[in-house]
Amino acid sequence: MSKKIGVFVCHCGTNISATVDVEKVAEEAKKKNPGVTYTTTHKYMCSDPGQKLLRDKIKEEGLTGIVVAACSPKMHERTFRNAAIKTGLNPYHVEISNIREQCSWVHKDKAVGTTKSIDLVRMMTEKTRKDKSLKPIKVHVTKRALVIGGGIAGIQAALDIADGGNEVILVEREASIGGHMAQLSETFPTLDCSQCIMTPKMVEVAQHENIKLYTWSEIEAVGGYLGNFDIKIRKKARSVDLDLCTGCSSCWQVCPSKKIKSEFDMGLGNRTAIYVPFPQAIPSKPVIDRENCLLFKDARKKNIPPNDSKVCRKCIDACPIAPVKAIDYSQEDEIVEEKVGAIVVATGYRELEDGLYGEYGGGKYKDVITGLQFERLASASGPTDGMIKRPSDGKEPEIIVFIQCVGSRDPSKGCSYCSKTCCMYTAKHTMLYKHKVHHGHAYVFYIDIRCAGKSYEEFAQRAIEEEGATYLRGRVSRVYQKGDKLVVLGADTLTGSVVEIEAEMVVLASAMKAQDDAGEFARKLSIQYDKDMFFSEIHPKLKPVESSSAGIFLAGTCQGPKDIPEAVAQAGAAASKVLALLSSDELEREPVVARVDRQLPPVFSTCIGCFYCQKVCPYSAIEQEDIKARDGSVIKTVARVNEGLCQGCGLCAATCRSKSIELAGFNDEQIYAEINAVEFN
Amino acid sequence: MIEALRKKAEELLRSKTVDVIYGYGEGSTPERTRPVFITKPEDVNKLTWNKYCVYNLTTYLKRQEARKLGKPAIVVKGCDAKTIIVLIKESQIKREDVYILGVTCNGVGEPQATKCKACDIHTPRIYDELIGEKIENKEISFEERYAEIEEYEKLSEKDKWEFWQKQFAKCIKCYACSSICPLCFCDRCIVDKNQPQWIDPSAHPRGNLSWNVTRAYHLAGRCINCEECQRVCPADIPLNLLNKKLAKETEKNFKYRAGYNIDDELAMATYKEDDNQDFIK
Amino acid sequence: MSEENKFEPKIVAFLCNWCTYAGADLAGTGRKQYQANVRVIKLPCTGGIDPLFLIKAFERGADGILVSGCHPGDCHYNSGNYHARRRWNVFRPLLEFCGINPERIQFSWVSAAEGGKWVETINGVIDSIRALGPFEGYQKINTMGPMVSSESANQ
Repeated sequence: MSKKIGVFVCHCGTNISATVDVEKVAEEAKKKNPGVTYTTTHKYMCSDPGQKLLRDKIKEEGLTGIVVAACSPKMHERTFRNAAIKTGLNPYHVEISNIREQCSWVHKDKAVGTTKSIDLVRMMTEKTRKDKSLKPIKVHVTKRALVIGGGIAGIQAALDIADGGNEVILVEREASIGGHMAQLSETFPTLDCSQCIMTPKMVEVAQHENIKLYTWSEIEAVGGYLGNFDIKIRKKARSVDLDLCTGCSSCWQVCPSKKIKSEFDMGLGNRTAIYVPFPQAIPSKPVIDRENCLLFKDARKKNIPPNDSKVCRKCIDACPIAPVKAIDYSQEDEIVEEKVGAIVVATGYRELEDGLYGEYGGGKYKDVITGLQFERLASASGPTDGMIKRPSDGKEPEIIVFIQCVGSRDPSKGCSYCSKTCCMYTAKHTMLYKHKVHHGHAYVFYIDIRCAGKSYEEFAQRAIEEEGATYLRGRVSRVYQKGDKLVVLGADTLTGSVVEIEAEMVVLASAMKAQDDAGEFARKLSIQYDKDMFFSEIHPKLKPVESSSAGIFLAGTCQGPKDIPEAVAQAGAAASKVLALLSSDELEREPVVARVDRQLPPVFSTCIGCFYCQKVCPYSAIEQEDIKARDGSVIKTVARVNEGLCQGCGLCAATCRSKSIELAGFNDEQIYAEINAVEFN
Repeated sequence: MIEALRKKAEELLRSKTVDVIYGYGEGSTPERTRPVFITKPEDVNKLTWNKYCVYNLTTYLKRQEARKLGKPAIVVKGCDAKTIIVLIKESQIKREDVYILGVTCNGVGEPQATKCKACDIHTPRIYDELIGEKIENKEISFEERYAEIEEYEKLSEKDKWEFWQKQFAKCIKCYACSSICPLCFCDRCIVDKNQPQWIDPSAHPRGNLSWNVTRAYHLAGRCINCEECQRVCPADIPLNLLNKKLAKETEKNFKYRAGYNIDDELAMATYKEDDNQDFIK
Repeated sequence: MSEENKFEPKIVAFLCNWCTYAGADLAGTGRKQYQANVRVIKLPCTGGIDPLFLIKAFERGADGILVSGCHPGDCHYNSGNYHARRRWNVFRPLLEFCGINPERIQFSWVSAAEGGKWVETINGVIDSIRALGPFEGYQKINTMGPMVSSESANQ
């Protein structure tokens, strides 16, 4: 039975009809294209009356295929397909011929535009004749979510999802959750203490009945698809049994290795080999740093199991837990598996490495420090108890220079983007400094002051006007040591003069960079990343928290530099997407997926099982299936598409030499018909 | 060498290591050989080996009639053995399901076949048993290996078109080329797909061009240059020139030679981020 | 606007849905004008373009073909364009070897943000094919026998 196709040509006001003779397009479609039984034009097809016209004519004319010649399918394909659904017509019999964006708007000559439109409509009509009904794919949803990263974004997302009544797996690779926010002293623009607002949230995570927390753990592998992800988590050997340990501190008090640089304090303070990263850590239980622990060092040297080393067993001896001690030197990494329906990626950022700006003496001079190091100095729980002291000699710096845009807005160093938070945190730093060193003076070298945010501009102005920081517009060319001073050579471009400041400390407003392993991690999840290795959202405006893989959402600085309120907002947005996704038992997916040919015996399938398709599939969606005889013997092994995993790129179909695999919606006959209809009148 | 071959064949059959030997047997005249399928130890004397063993026996691995005879041992020259590597990589056969009787070879055919002129695999790179004195596989330069197609590459665009149109015009769509090809193993060839009919099956210039280009393209990164397609073509179309051109491009662009190393990823099923893109705007 | 017999090239463009098709839409949104000699066929990904499609376009009388998709690293499907690139790396020289001017099949990366590049690219293709003239060789063999249409094959 041949199809009855209706062609609806849209004027789009005058957007189309000004340069395309829409009446002629409709007329020609009926005259020349086989299968077209009805044509009309309408002022605005996408309007309610336009859609009603479409619905009415489907019923009245018994149309079984629709071509709407209008704007780009990206605009209204969904609209017209939904209209078809209301009449009972399978929506995949509706095609859009793009005669606006790709015709009327780009060709002024009406004759030319009309001819091209006629061709475009014919091509789509021919494709429509070959359209098949497709059923949305239903996938079961596992009502649990995975949140990767336990910084503020991850914590917020986990709490929101858990409060919504779904179980959350929160994975953090450090020994405690908290992330960078836990390191900050006070936060702009209100100057409230970071710990004070952060710690309650951390505790809430620990106590939430819906949150399962894995710290000192990393994502090993991610398999599966939207609604059904299979996660492998590597629980790194902590050497401490979290169930037994009470966090009593006996062990780290006796640890003899006390001079290990604390990562939490950005190397400005020390910690022991068995340690809790910071007092408010969650869980507040230690981990053994196997690199630096005497016992593990000894065991490695002698090549014996750690338990056999007798060099130092002070921590285990001090552990009051009995009969089984909470410390276990023989613990090994463990892989645990979890099933989830959605994933939030909140893996955060790292601070720009020291070495990149040799001219500023970062990494060379002790008193040239980074923004995060300054946070630790200013923090009441930091290595100096909140006093601003120079790392070199503990002296209070009387003149301090802040250099902005270190590792950002500098294409010559490969960092062209704006790190966004540095203007604000530098303004904050000058204030914190002034509050602590009243007689001191702060200078700031900046390119621009970018403080777009609620109360942000006022905050930066306060730093200048009330707290007396001297802002100099210009770059610093060099920082060098002179006696116990650091000479900062820079330009003040507003006065056109060279500035030389003898500072006692220099703070670099180091940029936020993507995590070192961002690329590798993105490949594990099959999500995309940008040129700076930040993870890409699928649409920069309209889908800002969706990654390129369905069911995986982004939150916080892994997607790009942002401050705390933005990270929290994005986490909330990601959580709401997850909650929406987990709210139903089944999900519907676009049925644009590949299918492998199946035939009756004795052929069964034209697939010969060379599995090129399997090798090229970006989603590991191709499986091998044995076709068996009654006696169980294998007749042939052929490809099969896992519809849940398939994203519909068609790579397999183009790779298959015998064309035994086709993409629904773009199947062989449809594409053939479309090409075959190219005529160029 | 023949004795060693027969002795090994007999041993394999007697020990039931294999069920059948695919080998060369004597033909109707001394300049001819024909394929033999030996299933009984007492028949191994039918096996022979000489410079007339031109063709590639691995094509029988795709044939149900031959496969029905059970696990084979197959006599292969260095060039033929590459087919087995490709077949393994393309999941058509498992390594343990074929016993490879590699023969060392100094060239076949009288006059010598083109494929032997720049041969660098006198001794197979994969085998279970090697028959004959090992011959050192000397390295042959890229240029030398593809010297044959150079004169055709140098032709002007118009001359190329005319040359190939003349060649393709001879094609009678008998499909001998794909039947003989050990790597054309699809159950249904694309030319036999009629919904839609991508390639016009009638023997006329348009379909002939599509067919011959597609056949060659489907062997890109796969053809091991046994020249069987060209040997069997009743219209004498120099099909292997197309295959060789593709082999050259594959090697030049992807540093890949089909069937050369079993560990190499199939060229057309993988990619490198820095693949050539000079031609892309 | 032109003489009766002036040659107007026929170009078929195979575009990926996510980058170049969106780029061409953007050119429209920006009302950027270009020559109308192109007919676009949209596919999800350049990785889904079988060389058979291109041969078919020539059989339908195309004078030139453009294949365009996402820039390397930007593929919506992660690696589709990389696989496509590999394909064209062998298919293009094969056609050239058979006497088809490689200018007749062109490739480009045009992102969803590059409306301008789309205009530049498609105008460039049209101009270069205009300079080459009609693809007489192929058109000659196309007319030498009956055309099997999808219609007759199906019924």
